[in-house]
Amino acid sequence: MMTAREAGLISCHFCHNLNRLPSGQLPSEQDKAELTCYVCGSVIHSRIPQSLSKTWALVIAAMILYIPANVLPIMTVVMWGDGRPDNIMSGVMSLLHADMWPLALIVFLASIVIPIAKLLTLLGLLISVHFRSTWRPRERTQLYRATEFIGRWSMIDIFVIGILVALVQFGNAATVTPGMGALSFAAVVILTMIAAHTFDPRLIWDAIEESPNV
Amino acid sequence: MTRELSGALDYRTARACHECDLLQQIPDLKNGEIARCQRCGALLKRVHKNSLDRSLAFAITGLILFLVANLFPLISLKALGIAQHGNLISATIALFDADMPFLGMLMLFTTILFPLFSLLGTIYVLLNIRMGRLTPAIAPLFRFLRSTDAWGMLEIFLLALIVAAVKLVDLTEVITGISLYAFILLIITLATLSLTLNPDDVWDHLRKPKS
Repeated sequence: MMTAREAGLISCHFCHNLNRLPSGQLPSEQDKAELTCYVCGSVIHSRIPQSLSKTWALVIAAMILYIPANVLPIMTVVMWGDGRPDNIMSGVMSLLHADMWPLALIVFLASIVIPIAKLLTLLGLLISVHFRSTWRPRERTQLYRATEFIGRWSMIDIFVIGILVALVQFGNAATVTPGMGALSFAAVVILTMIAAHTFDPRLIWDAIEESPNV
Repeated sequence: MTRELSGALDYRTARACHECDLLQQIPDLKNGEIARCQRCGALLKRVHKNSLDRSLAFAITGLILFLVANLFPLISLKALGIAQHGNLISATIALFDADMPFLGMLMLFTTILFPLFSLLGTIYVLLNIRMGRLTPAIAPLFRFLRSTDAWGMLEIFLLALIVAAVKLVDLTEVITGISLYAFILLIITLATLSLTLNPDDVWDHLRKPKS
């Protein structure tokens, strides 16, 4: 068992072809020079440069914005001059009251469970890599894969707001306006999507290879 | 660490897992088979017969459906004698009008620009490969398409449309528009396209003339 880095090779992030590291260059130096893939021409790195600090910054920013996303109204429904601000949880409750529990469940998962699970997962992965943990690398990689795959579905609430704002424009009778909570929530989703992208799961396995027990 | 193993590897067909960096030889796969990393289980390679031709057909279908989905309303509301129509671009316009330019841009990119550019770009790449014209634009264009793949969110928009309709059905009359059917077919076509299109086949074409 041997990794590409140990063999002096770099796998291209896009086309997955193996590139040979120029001779005489140590694996530790390979992040400094800019190399390009011989097949597709993209810039290649053995590991994503500054993966941990970038991911930390994005996760912390997302955690801060998660507070206004849940406290501020995501939209306000005005009916006959009477405004009713909605936040993320009240949107789920209104679907429940309409006896639409399958949809309520989807929105609850997409808007509440997934963002929290995603933030906690990224935080856990960052901490485990920081302490060079050798605990269950396969499961941690699977967790990362799920996080990267599912994160975009949190955008559903933003789209619902956009559609409602577009459709419900009946003058004095009923209008819907978007709130600052929606802006914060969209930012949380975008930041965590980018954070999942900047995290390099190969760092999980580097700790295993470097640990003396293996 | 065993150095002997590297001698048995053929570097042109070997792959390093993109999630754990383990070097491994990929066995010859039959049609429909997939190869997973032996250490972390990530998907390393899949083989589909005629992946590029089929993908080209789905991409052209998708482009036609995308245009039809934009021509007519997806959903309409009727209340107090006023009919309100919504199509794909309506949400983007409404968010700009509501002084939320950031959310408007987000809508514009995720539901219009990325999906449209992705279809046009995929058709350009596949058509040129089909005709044997390996233009210098193919590699950077296909790289861009791969890296923006997650940001086209039409299928999420469809689910949001259903949620919005359910929220409104108590208050007003909700009428499905004719473009909604084209839109549903578009989502199915896009899902099939992403299953059929095997990026490795595109990269293999780019590698051939040089080696």
